[in-house]
Amino acid sequence: MELKTLALDLGVIRVLQAGDDQPYQAGWYVDPITGQRVYYDPETQNFYTMAGGVYIPLGYMNPAPKQVAIAPGEKLRITISYKYSGPAITGAIEYFCVGVYGALGFDEKLVGKNTKNLPASTTPAAYTGSYTFTMPADVGSNWDDIYCKIYNGSPSVPQNLFGYENALVIVGKDPTISEFTIADFVKV
Amino acid sequence: MVLDIVLAPMALAPKTFNVGETIRVTVSFKYAVGVNTTVRLLAGPYYSNIFGKHVVSTCVGRADISLTAVSTPTPQTTEVDFLLVPKANGGIDNGTYGLRVWIERTNAVAEQDNVIIVSGNPTGAFDMSGILPMVMMLMMLGMVMPMVTEGAAE
Repeated sequence: MELKTLALDLGVIRVLQAGDDQPYQAGWYVDPITGQRVYYDPETQNFYTMAGGVYIPLGYMNPAPKQVAIAPGEKLRITISYKYSGPAITGAIEYFCVGVYGALGFDEKLVGKNTKNLPASTTPAAYTGSYTFTMPADVGSNWDDIYCKIYNGSPSVPQNLFGYENALVIVGKDPTISEFTIADFVKV
Repeated sequence: MVLDIVLAPMALAPKTFNVGETIRVTVSFKYAVGVNTTVRLLAGPYYSNIFGKHVVSTCVGRADISLTAVSTPTPQTTEVDFLLVPKANGGIDNGTYGLRVWIERTNAVAEQDNVIIVSGNPTGAFDMSGILPMVMMLMMLGMVMPMVTEGAAE
């Protein structure tokens, strides 16, 4: 059975400072760089934009740098990397998800979690984490998006999300066609 | 200031065909599928008007393609033929048409406007086909009206 991998970089994360570093209260904020109005929901620890009355999680999804074709029964390994500096953290959660990303957010179909302890460090130290999914027989042809995050722990790290759209090509009973072009046409 | 503009050539150059001729279209694509399967490739000319694009259905050609199961996108090249049925047989009129190719029950479709120039339909003679239904209706009316007016007079 072939094992296929995807890798994501969550960037640098840091620990929440106890007491005074709760990131934001619920409400509307203005992104100082883009000027975009965004809403922060402390329950989900996410920023949202609003379009047509629908709150949409702020852009943590990105175009996939590559596509991995995978069939039911095959294994998909998602690898994340990130850097951390700060006090020791116990029980941070690395979260891996395959699903369908759309206007209403991410519809999670497959979820995997790792618990991670991060030692104290004064300089950003690199970490990796991975999770291996076995694609189920009933995998949908549109389960082609993935996202990962790291959150929680003691002391808690703020939620860091990152995802790729159209990262997977689900190979099911229906063919997936790409790069369909007319090469030539002639009289015969 | 130098404007660095590259004009990409059209993927397909227009070609002229006579009605009654067969056109062979070669398509390339990549596919992946979990089980051996057969798909149907279709190709035909289309025209555009204010209501959109319309394939000339009488000229559409079909070909069945066998795809063997592969889990990684695999290149494939295949062909499909279609016949330019003359207008007299309910087919295509003289003019310029686009070319569309698609695979049934998938999102695979490729097309290009104005690449098929069709000629060969007779144009010199007066074409009655367009007004024939109206002429027939008038003739029927002419036959029926005297009967109706006679009935009313009685």
